[in-house]
Amino acid sequence: MWSAGAVGFVLVSCCFCSSLSAEGLLNEDVKRTLDLSSHLAKITAEIQLANHGASRVNSFTLALEDELAPHLAFIGASVKGEEEEDESLELKETTVHGQSGKFFEAQFPSALAPGAKLRVKVETVFSHVLKPFPTHITQAERQLVVFQGNHYLYSPYPTRSQTTRVRLASKTVESYTKLGNPTKSDEAIEYGPFKDVPPFSQDVMKIHYENNTPFLTISSITRTIEVSHWGNIAVEETIDLRHTGAYLKGPFSRYDYQRQSDSGISSVKSFKTILPASAQDVYYRDEIGNISTSHLQVLDDSVEVEIRPRFPLFGGWKTHYIIGYNLPSYEYLYNLGDQYALKMRLVDHVYDDQVIDQLTVKLILPEGAKNVHMDTPYPIARSQDELHYTYLDTFGRPVLVATKSNMVEQHIQDVVVHYTFNKILMLQEPLLVVGAFYILFFTVIIYVRLDFSITKDPAAEVRMKVASITEQVLTLVNKRLGLYRHMDEVVNRYKQSRDTGALNSGRKTLEAEHRTLTNDINALQTRLKTEGSDLAEKVGEIQKLDGSLKDLVSRSCQEAERLVAGKVKKDAYIESDKSLSGRRQELVGRIDSLLDAL
Amino acid sequence: MTEFHSRSSGGTGGSPPGIRRSSAAGGGGKKGELSQPAGWRCLLSFTILFLACVCGFISRLFAVIRFESLIHEFDPWFNYRSTHYLTTNGFYEFLNWFDERAWYPLGRIVGGTVYPGLMVTAGLIHYILNLVHLTVHIRDGAGLLSACFVAVVPGYISRSVAGSFDNEAVAIFALQFTYFLWVKSIKTGSVFWTVGCCLSYFYMVSAWGGYVFIINLIPLHVFVLLLMRRFSKRVYIAYSTFYIIGLILSMQIPFVGFQPIRTSEHMAAAVPARQTDAAGQTDYVFCLCLCRCAAAVCVCRLPQQHRLDRSMERTLLFTWDTGYAKIHIPIIASVSEHQPTTWVSFFFDLHILVCTFPAGLWFCIRNMTTERVFVVLYGISAVYFAGVMVRLMLTLTPVVCVLSAVCFSSVFEHYLSDELKQDDPPAEDAADEDDRRNSGSLYDKAGKLCKHQVCEEGLGSNIRSLVIVLLLLLLLMFTVHCTWVTSNAYSSPSVVLASYNHDGSRSILDDFREAYYWLRLNTDQHVRVMSWWDYGYQIAGMANRTTLVDNNTWNNSHIALVGKAMASNESVAYDIMRLLDVDYVLIIFGGVMGYSGDDINKFLWMVRIAEGEHPRDVRESDFFTPQGEFRVDKDASPALLNSLMYKMSYYRFGEMQLDFRTPPGFDRTRNAEIGNKDVRLKHLEEAFTSEHWLVRIYKVKDLDNRQPLERKPRVTSTNHNHKSRKGSRRKRGLVKNKLVLKKGRKLNRKRKQTRLDSLQ
Repeated sequence: MWSAGAVGFVLVSCCFCSSLSAEGLLNEDVKRTLDLSSHLAKITAEIQLANHGASRVNSFTLALEDELAPHLAFIGASVKGEEEEDESLELKETTVHGQSGKFFEAQFPSALAPGAKLRVKVETVFSHVLKPFPTHITQAERQLVVFQGNHYLYSPYPTRSQTTRVRLASKTVESYTKLGNPTKSDEAIEYGPFKDVPPFSQDVMKIHYENNTPFLTISSITRTIEVSHWGNIAVEETIDLRHTGAYLKGPFSRYDYQRQSDSGISSVKSFKTILPASAQDVYYRDEIGNISTSHLQVLDDSVEVEIRPRFPLFGGWKTHYIIGYNLPSYEYLYNLGDQYALKMRLVDHVYDDQVIDQLTVKLILPEGAKNVHMDTPYPIARSQDELHYTYLDTFGRPVLVATKSNMVEQHIQDVVVHYTFNKILMLQEPLLVVGAFYILFFTVIIYVRLDFSITKDPAAEVRMKVASITEQVLTLVNKRLGLYRHMDEVVNRYKQSRDTGALNSGRKTLEAEHRTLTNDINALQTRLKTEGSDLAEKVGEIQKLDGSLKDLVSRSCQEAERLVAGKVKKDAYIESDKSLSGRRQELVGRIDSLLDAL
Repeated sequence: MTEFHSRSSGGTGGSPPGIRRSSAAGGGGKKGELSQPAGWRCLLSFTILFLACVCGFISRLFAVIRFESLIHEFDPWFNYRSTHYLTTNGFYEFLNWFDERAWYPLGRIVGGTVYPGLMVTAGLIHYILNLVHLTVHIRDGAGLLSACFVAVVPGYISRSVAGSFDNEAVAIFALQFTYFLWVKSIKTGSVFWTVGCCLSYFYMVSAWGGYVFIINLIPLHVFVLLLMRRFSKRVYIAYSTFYIIGLILSMQIPFVGFQPIRTSEHMAAAVPARQTDAAGQTDYVFCLCLCRCAAAVCVCRLPQQHRLDRSMERTLLFTWDTGYAKIHIPIIASVSEHQPTTWVSFFFDLHILVCTFPAGLWFCIRNMTTERVFVVLYGISAVYFAGVMVRLMLTLTPVVCVLSAVCFSSVFEHYLSDELKQDDPPAEDAADEDDRRNSGSLYDKAGKLCKHQVCEEGLGSNIRSLVIVLLLLLLLMFTVHCTWVTSNAYSSPSVVLASYNHDGSRSILDDFREAYYWLRLNTDQHVRVMSWWDYGYQIAGMANRTTLVDNNTWNNSHIALVGKAMASNESVAYDIMRLLDVDYVLIIFGGVMGYSGDDINKFLWMVRIAEGEHPRDVRESDFFTPQGEFRVDKDASPALLNSLMYKMSYYRFGEMQLDFRTPPGFDRTRNAEIGNKDVRLKHLEEAFTSEHWLVRIYKVKDLDNRQPLERKPRVTSTNHNHKSRKGSRRKRGLVKNKLVLKKGRKLNRKRKQTRLDSLQ
C-alpha cells in the first residue's frame, strides 16, 4: 500500500513534469452537475476514466480548485458498477508539485489495465461558497447570490468530452457566464459539451441568481452524550444558529411579515429536526426557559421536531438553543462481559442541508470506564479527555472530547467507542446513598441515646426517672382497667351461656393478673417514694380507688351469678347493675383524672 | 385541614400550647393500639408536620407543572442575576459589585443596595449541593428554594411559588423564626435564645426591608408589657440583649448601614429600651445595663447629628398616611403592589380565615399571657399594614393562620371533648374504648385552656355533630379555595401568557421572551435599552443589556427623564435619548392581544412622574381631552397623539385589521379605533416586534449624515428610468392630486349646500 502510494506520488509528480498523459489516464467522458439549489454547492462529477497508457494504473488523483478548496466540506469517490452497488473509494490527501489546489489520491479497487475503462463518481460539497450579492437587503427584497466556479472539471488528466449542468434555486437569474453558448431552461443551465480540455484548465463560471432557500448555518454545536449503564443515554445539543444569507437592512416590520406572504422570503421561520425513533423526553429550551413554539411528531422510524426559534431569523440574525432527549441504551450499547461498545451518530440531523461550522462532541462514559478507544468514520480532532462530575460521582466520569469543523449532512455517520467497565462499579452509587443514610441515622441514634451534656443535672435525672416510672404506672393501670373490661365481657358471655366454669376461670385469671399488676404498681409506688416524688401519694390514691373498683367488679360478677341462679329478679338486677356501673364509671373517671395529673 | 393546623403551630412560636395538641387531635382519627400515648402523639405531630411540609412544597410546584421552570415577575430576575453573579464570582466580589448594566449612565452598586439574604441562601444551597456533586443549576434551584418554605395560604403563596425567586420567600420564614425565638426568649429569659433570636433577626435584615416591622413590633410588645405590669426580669434580659446585639448585627448589612440609629422608623426601638432601664434596674443585670445605657445615649445623640434621611421618612409617612404618597411621590403610588388592599383581595387571599381570625384574636385576648400579648399585637398591627399596602398582606398571613388555628382548635375541643364525655359510658368494645380514652386524655389536656366552660355545658349531640360538620365543610372549602388560587391565580408567570382556544387547548403567548431573546442575541453587547422601569430587571436578566431605569427605583429624576422622553414629541424625545445614549427603545403594547398591562395604560404614571421633575415641559392635563378623559381615539389630545409612546405603540397599527367586525387600527385593550393611523417616525425605526405585537423595539437612528459624500450615491437604473419615463408633468403627482382636490372641494361645497338645502 505504502509503496503503491509512493509510486503513485512519484508518478503524479513525474507526470506533471512532462505531461500527465504519460501516466496514461484520460477522462473520456465527464458529466458534471452543480446543484446550487440550496445554500450549499454540491458538485457531482461522473467521470469515465480510461487507461491509455502502457502499464497498469493503481490509483488516480482528484483535484480541487484553489478557490473552492478551503470551503470543501465533504468529498467522496465511488466506482460506479454496472449493476452492483457503488463501491466507495478511500481517499488520501496528496500534493502535486507546481499546481495550486487540493488533491486527493484514490486507489482503484483493482489496478486498471491498459485500455480498460472505469466509471467513477466524485461527490463534493462546499459550504459558504454562495455569496449573497447584494450583501444587505431589506425585508421586502429577495435574496440574490453569486456563485463562482469553474466551467471545466479541474483534473490532472486531459478530458475528451464534458458537459456541465447547473441546477438553480429559482428561475430568476441575473446573469451567468456564457461560455460555449449554454442553454438555460427553467431552473437549470447546461454548459458544453466541451471537447478535449487540457489538464488543470480553469475558466471562471459566475452565476448570479435568486436563492431564497434558508441560509442557515450552525456556527457551533456542542453535542453531549451521557451514557448511563442504568439503561439511559442522554443526548443534549447546544446549538448556535445563524442566518448567513444577505443581512437585513433597515427595519423589520412585523406587519409586513404577517400580512404579505413574500415579505422576508429569505428568512427562516422554522425547520425540522429529525431525532432517532426511540428518542423520549425531548426538550427544547434556551437560557431563559422553555421555547414554547415547537411541535413534536412521532413517526415510525424517527421523531420529528418542528423547531421554531423564538423569532424568525433574518439575514445576520442568530439564535441559540438547547435540544435534548433520552435514548434507551439497549439500542446503542453493546457488551460482551466487561467489554462495551457504544455505537452512535457522531452528529445528528438538525435541518436539511445542514452546515456545521464547528462541532464539539462530548462523550461522557460511566464512572470507571477504562481502556477507552474511539473509532470514527472520518478523521476528527481529539482534545484532552476531561472528567465530569454529576450526581453521586466520586472520582469523575471520563469525557471524550472531539472537535471537527465544516460538516454537512454526509457526515451523519456512526462512531464506535469501545471501553471496558467492571459491572461491580454499578453498585457504587446505590451503596453510597445507603451509606450516607446509614451514617445519618447512626449519628441521630448516637446523639439521642448518649448524653453529651457537660454538667449533670440531678434534678433532671430524678425527673426523668420519675417520668419513666409514671409511664410504667400508666401502662399498668391501663392494663388493669382493661382487665375489668375483659371481665365485663366474660360476665356478659356468662349471662348468655350460663357457663359457670368459664366465669370461674375468668374470675381466676382476673384475680391472678390483678394481683400481679397491683403488686407491680405497688413496687413502682415504693420506687417513686424512694425518689422522693409526691406522685407516690397519687399512685396510692389510685390503688385505693382501684381496690373499690375491684370490689365493684366482683360484686357485679356476683350479681350476675345470682341472676343466673335465679336468686334475683331481672328488674332488680338491672337496677343494681345500673347503680354499680354508675359507680364504676365515676371511679374510672377519677382514676383517669388522677392519671392525667401524673 | 390538619396540615393547616399543624403548620401554624409548628411554624410559629406565638401559638399557645393548645394548638400543638390540636394538631395531634386532628390526626387522632387513626386507630390503633395506642399503648404509648406520648410516643404516638410525637409520631403523629411529626407525621402531620411532615405532611404539611410535603403539601406546602408540592402546592408550590403548580407553577412548574402548569407552565415550566421559569422565573416569574420582575424582581426575581434581578435576584436571579445577582445570585448568578454571587455563585460565579464569590461573596466578596458580590459585595463590591458595581453593576454598569443598570441605571445607565449612573450604574448601581449592587452590594451596597441590596438585601443579600436570599442570594446568600440560594448561593449557599447551590454551593453545598455542588460540593456533593448534585448538579443543580441555580436556575432550577431558585424555584425549589422558595418552595422549601412552607404554608398553604394563598397570601403567602403569591410570593413563594416555585419560580418566584423573591426576597419574601426567605424573609417570611426568617420573620416567623425571629418571632418564635423572641417568644421563646421572653418565656425563658435566657440569653441563649435571645442571641438566637438576634441571629435570626440578622438573617431577616439581610433578606428583606420588612425587618423594620420586627424592630418596631418587639419594642411595642415590651412597651405594652410594661403598661400591663407584666414586665419581668426575663423580658428585661431578652429585650436588652436583643436590642444591642440585633442593632449591631443589623448594621452589618451594607444596605442598612447606619440607618438603625439614624432614621425615624427605628426610633421606636429606643423608647422602651430607656423605659426598661428604669423598670429593670437591678444588680443582677448591672453590667448589661451599662452597655445598654451607652447604646441608648448613642442612639439619642446620633439623630441630632445626622440629618434624617428624607426619603426614608417619606416611606414611613407613606405607611401611615396613604394619601401623602399619592400626592408627593407618584413613583411609589404607581406600583400596583403599593395600592391599598381591597376587601376582595382580603377574602381572595385568606378566605374563611378572615372571619375566624378575629375570633382567634378574642380567644387570645380572653386569657392573656406574655406571649399572647405578642400574638395579639402582631395580629393587630399586621392587619393595619396589610390594609395600607397589598404587598404587606404577606406579613399578615402567618398570624392570621395562627389565630384562626386557635379559634378552630378551641371550637373543636369544645365540641369534640363534650361528645366524648357523654359517649364514654356505653363502651362496648375494649379496643375501641381504649383508643377513645387515650384520645380523650389528649382532648382533656388540651381543654385545660378553657376548662371552666367545657365542663358545664351539655349540648345535644345533634347540634355538636352539626357544628363539627359545618366547620369541617368550611375547612374543606378553604382547602379547595387555596388549591384553586394557588394553581390558577398565583402560579402563572407574568412573562408567559396563556390563552385557551375554542377547543380548550392551551396556547402560550411567549412574546416577552421572544423580544428579550432577540435583544440578547441580535444586538450589540453594549447597547443601551430605554424602557419604562417595570421591565428593567427583565431586560437585564433575560436580554442581558444595559438599561436606563429598573425596578430598583432609587433615582426618581432619572425615571422622570425617561418618562419625559416617552411623553414628549419625537424630536424632543430624540434629544433626550441622544443625551442618554439610547440605542433601542422597548415598549409593551397590548392593543393587538388585548393585554391590559401595557405601556399606554401606564402612560399617565409616566406623565405624572415626569411632571413631578419637569413641571414646565410635561403637564398631565395636556394628555386629557377637554372632557377630562384619557382616550386614544380621534378625540385624544394632541399632546398624546404626538407623544413618543403613542407613536411607537401605534406605528403601522393603523393598517392592521384584526377582524372583520372592527375597522383597521382598532385597539382591543382600550376598545377604540386609534386616532392617528398614519404614524411616521423620523428618528426611530422599527427594529423588532414580537409575534403578537406585545413587545415592540425601536432602534434610535444616528444623526442624519450631513457630510458630503466622497463618491456619488449610486442611482439604481430602474428607478431612474421609472422617473424619467414619466416626464415632468406626470412627475408632479401633487398637481394631479390638487386638481382632484379642487374638484372635490367644489363638489363638496355643492354637496354641502345641497345638504343644507335639503335640511332646510
